Amino acid sequence: MYKGIAASRGIGIGKICRIIEPDLSFEAKVITDIEAEKARFSKAIADFVEETNAMAEEVRKNIGPKEAEILLGHAAMMDDPAMSGEMFSMIETGQCAEAALTAVSDMFYGIFSTMDDEMMRQRASDIADVKVSLLKILLGVKDVNIGSVPEGTVLVCKDLTPSMTSQIVKENVAGIMTEVGGPTSHSAILARALEIPAVLSVPGIVDSVNDGDTAIVDGNAGDVFINPELDVLSEYIIKREDFNKKKAELQKFIGKETLTADGDKLEIYCNIGTPKDAKKAMECDGEGVGLFRSEFLFMDNTHLPTEEEQFEAYKEAVETMEGRTVIIRTLDIGGDKDIPYMDFEKEENPFLGFRAVRYCLAHQDMYKVQLRAIVRASAYGKAKIMVPLVTTVEEVRTVKKLVAEIKDELRAEGIAFDEDIEVGCMMETAASAAIADLLAKEADFFSIGTNDLTGYTMAVDRGNAKVAYLYSAFQPAVLRSIRTIIKAGKEAGIPVGMCGEAAADPLMIPLLMSFGLDEYSVNPVLVLRARCIISKWTKAEADALAEKVMAMATEEEVKAELEASAKEI
Amino acid sequence: MVSKNITIKNELGMHMRPASLLAKMAATYESNVTVKFNGKDFNCKSVMLLMTALIKCGSEIELVCDGADEEKALAELSEFIESGMGE
Repeated sequence: MYKGIAASRGIGIGKICRIIEPDLSFEAKVITDIEAEKARFSKAIADFVEETNAMAEEVRKNIGPKEAEILLGHAAMMDDPAMSGEMFSMIETGQCAEAALTAVSDMFYGIFSTMDDEMMRQRASDIADVKVSLLKILLGVKDVNIGSVPEGTVLVCKDLTPSMTSQIVKENVAGIMTEVGGPTSHSAILARALEIPAVLSVPGIVDSVNDGDTAIVDGNAGDVFINPELDVLSEYIIKREDFNKKKAELQKFIGKETLTADGDKLEIYCNIGTPKDAKKAMECDGEGVGLFRSEFLFMDNTHLPTEEEQFEAYKEAVETMEGRTVIIRTLDIGGDKDIPYMDFEKEENPFLGFRAVRYCLAHQDMYKVQLRAIVRASAYGKAKIMVPLVTTVEEVRTVKKLVAEIKDELRAEGIAFDEDIEVGCMMETAASAAIADLLAKEADFFSIGTNDLTGYTMAVDRGNAKVAYLYSAFQPAVLRSIRTIIKAGKEAGIPVGMCGEAAADPLMIPLLMSFGLDEYSVNPVLVLRARCIISKWTKAEADALAEKVMAMATEEEVKAELEASAKEI
Repeated sequence: MVSKNITIKNELGMHMRPASLLAKMAATYESNVTVKFNGKDFNCKSVMLLMTALIKCGSEIELVCDGADEEKALAELSEFIESGMGE
């Protein structure tokens, strides 16, 4: 077995076809007719641009616009004065086109490949791809025809270049293995777009295999088997069936409402960290955003973000979600983060200290800038304000007072906003669970942050290995807090959501359904899975399970019961 | 010759897309356009060179225009950079 990087999910089984790059060696000649050589190079560039644009068009049709852009970028590269300009200058000194192309490309390859930024290193493979394509044209070398490989082929190559990928016939390629490339490389992006299982960065794989060998590509685990034993093969055939069945099963939930087995409607939202992630939430069929962390605006910045900067970011997310709810959590950081332009002091216990809403209410000028930006963004869709780390009723009242002041100001200035913008509590402290009934009278909604709720309820630092065993949302103490919070919200008639990891946990979902949770906010990639799990349970089944589990005294018993009752998805 | 200091606001810094838009725009001026960053000069008409500069979000660059239309180039290019280069 070989180990690589799991880059595109799924299990592929098939016969290997190695793609070995043709020999592109050349003899560097001294050129006497410089004009003729320049013309030859110009013609090669023109052919390259034409071919590449045609390929991009194919990719756009068959794969997608984002993938086509990679190829269009290649064509644009040869327009760059630093690339072609430099090459022509070298030809003028008497070097042949092949030598000029190689020297300049290799120089840029060298610069980009050593950068410590993954996206920039990616440019190095673009440059190498462009160089090879142009060399082939200059040398008159024909490409390996990937388009004609038979059904059930596993492609093995050093690197899967975009120009190779554009020829792939999706139905015929069972899997892909390469020697280079990471999870964000073009090869990975393209393999995922084509839904072909892929394992990348398998060292020396091209020389370790022969054409026609049987290969298993496990794009879930990053494992590769060459000429496997029969028992391994049959194991993976079953795994493949299983994976494909589950995938097909989940696909059925695209564009569907989230319904329990009884037909009761619930909602699956997404957790996002930047406005761009909102697109992902939409692509993954999220019904809203249950947690938009606003920290990115502050962390990756050299100054306090202005109202305009924040407004633009919130507006982008709100507009992307096309009227669906976007719950924006206001700044949630403290002394554990080092932000040069903010005056966080070193604290003994930053997680029990001057952070989140506590910090914001002590810096109301700063906080009002953020609140104003959110309230303004509410004019473009459905934005809601979520206050983190609430422990007292006064905190919620003060935030609501600030929001009311901002609304007055905006009204006076004639700036549009949603008059009904809601202010809710992130329920993540032991205090908030204990006074959930009091908070429910003040807040427009609750959202349970299970990660911190677990930490604060169990008084445990999950990063400390000696006590991490206590960190579990299945601890009876945490489950009771969750139940209390949901019950208090229900009794007050406000919606209750959850934006912690537990909301997507197949073991937790039936309990949350029984408690009456309305909105489950999960990582975008888990939307369909959560929707599928919810569809398997009736309220009566969930209630029966919850009743049993909530009477149990230990986390171990709880988990064992939930695992035993879990439904197959 | 005219110049101006500008802070890059793009979340991912001078990446492929903003760099190519900027280079394309810079190429429409007759003037030489140079980005000075980290003590080095980069031809602003070249995407490749702009990317090699590794300009991050929050970095301050000096934009230098030199030529017949330098005033116009500086005004328009700095406005484009400050507006977030189409992002």
